[in-house]
Amino acid sequence: MSGALVSPDLFTLCKVLITGIMKIQSDAILASAPVGSPVEPLRGIAYFLMEDWFLTFNAWMIAITIMVTWAAAIQLLTLMWMERKFYSRLQDRYGIMISIWSLPFWPFSWWAKRKNKPTHKGLGYLQNVADGVKLLQKENITPATADSAMFHTAPVLIASSTVMIFAALPFSEGFVIANVPMSLLFILAAFSLAPLGILIAGWSSNNKYTLIGGMRAAAQLMAYEIPLLLAVVAVLMYAGSLNVIDIVHKQELPLAMAGPIPIPSWNVFSIPQFIGFAVFATAMMAEMERIPFDIPEAEAELVEGWLTEYSGMRFGLVFGFKWLRALAGSALVVILYFGGWSGPVFLTLAPSVGSTVVPIPIIPHEVWFLIKVYLLYLVFVWVSWSVPRVRIDQILNIGWKRLIPLSLLAILLAAGLAAFGPALGGVR
Amino acid sequence: MAVDWQLAAFLVLSVLEIGGSIMVVTTRKLVHAVFWLALTLVTIGGIYLVLQAEFVFLIQILVYAGAVPVLFLFGIMLTRRKIMEEVPAAEIPQTPAAPTPGEELP
Repeated sequence: MSGALVSPDLFTLCKVLITGIMKIQSDAILASAPVGSPVEPLRGIAYFLMEDWFLTFNAWMIAITIMVTWAAAIQLLTLMWMERKFYSRLQDRYGIMISIWSLPFWPFSWWAKRKNKPTHKGLGYLQNVADGVKLLQKENITPATADSAMFHTAPVLIASSTVMIFAALPFSEGFVIANVPMSLLFILAAFSLAPLGILIAGWSSNNKYTLIGGMRAAAQLMAYEIPLLLAVVAVLMYAGSLNVIDIVHKQELPLAMAGPIPIPSWNVFSIPQFIGFAVFATAMMAEMERIPFDIPEAEAELVEGWLTEYSGMRFGLVFGFKWLRALAGSALVVILYFGGWSGPVFLTLAPSVGSTVVPIPIIPHEVWFLIKVYLLYLVFVWVSWSVPRVRIDQILNIGWKRLIPLSLLAILLAAGLAAFGPALGGVR
Repeated sequence: MAVDWQLAAFLVLSVLEIGGSIMVVTTRKLVHAVFWLALTLVTIGGIYLVLQAEFVFLIQILVYAGAVPVLFLFGIMLTRRKIMEEVPAAEIPQTPAAPTPGEELP
């Protein structure tokens, strides 16, 4: 019994939806153009609408649109809002508070005045939308001596490779576009395309700050990709599959019973995987360019690092998609080490449709996944607004001399325990 | 009419690949050559995907797209070409000298 809202599959749901819509249109055309009437050729359109390849194509398009809207609009805005509110609270202030009643035109201003609502006492969720609108209005400046073609290609490379991650990143076993056998490798490959875009952006702006920022970004991202991948190898020793959904299913089994409550066998509860988790989370923070590792855009030294010369919405694109990479990174940590979307689902509400009983999950898997991702992301934010920035040589020392040996140790222990753990009484 | 989509994808990818590899050796700027090399390597990965070798495709992307930035760095650091293009001094718009404070005063 599945505890996911999107079941069995996002594509199947979209196919059902588009088939229903097209069936209604096709029937309407068939009814309004009967055989023998002067508009009889319109019946060809009706048959075209019901063709299978047309329906499949449209279903894929709708699935992709839903996923991109969900990830790149809703989740992106939520993460940015959460981060801004949370670090404002860490700094003992309220943070963004502009509410929809602060909008200075008709229905909102009128309503706010009439109801005597305080215009600056909201949650501030729409502040990032307002910032985006401001960026859209700004001029897109290309520096005079910049390498124009590559300057314009770099944001496209960064943005498209980031969106590519969400082709294979699942939010539950059904809420995924393509469930391919090697989706984990695909996600990591899409993750590793961004350094090229960052380096191109830094070089093509023809500015010393951006060049230094791009060089630092390349050195840091290349160095931290190695412990990232090695820590993943340790997970693969336990899971035995490169499919993220299989990896999550392996972690759903109960490890032990604490009274009546089963403790799930999340990877983070085993000795080698805990080392791997520490390595993976640190390397992921470096990949996200969050504060202890944010020397590529250290604003005290390098203006804004490799994105100094970008302006307007192009800046918004490369700057905002950092949050999308952060979302993908947090989701990857949750999938690999915290059991993904597994959690207690209470399938009690059961309305019956016809003769079949349809159980509705009270806390569906998607909600569990989002709770875990948000909590983990807030821990990342907490760390990054509490610790000072690390120097470039210290970053490379941590990466090459600490994290890589630790991840190798995790692989060694994981391989040993995967082979001899059952013989040692189920040690993991 | 049945379209052989595999053949079409193969043709598009191979045209991109051959064009990219020609650009690698003919372009004047070293950094552009590295960019074209990245395009060539990724399209070779695409051809692996057409041949239904997904694992080789992913490893190609992971390894070569990771290696290209390093090549990029060496291209920038180890060649004699100037890294940055300087604007000739004549082309910089001359801002009029600010008046000294004393002059304006009566």
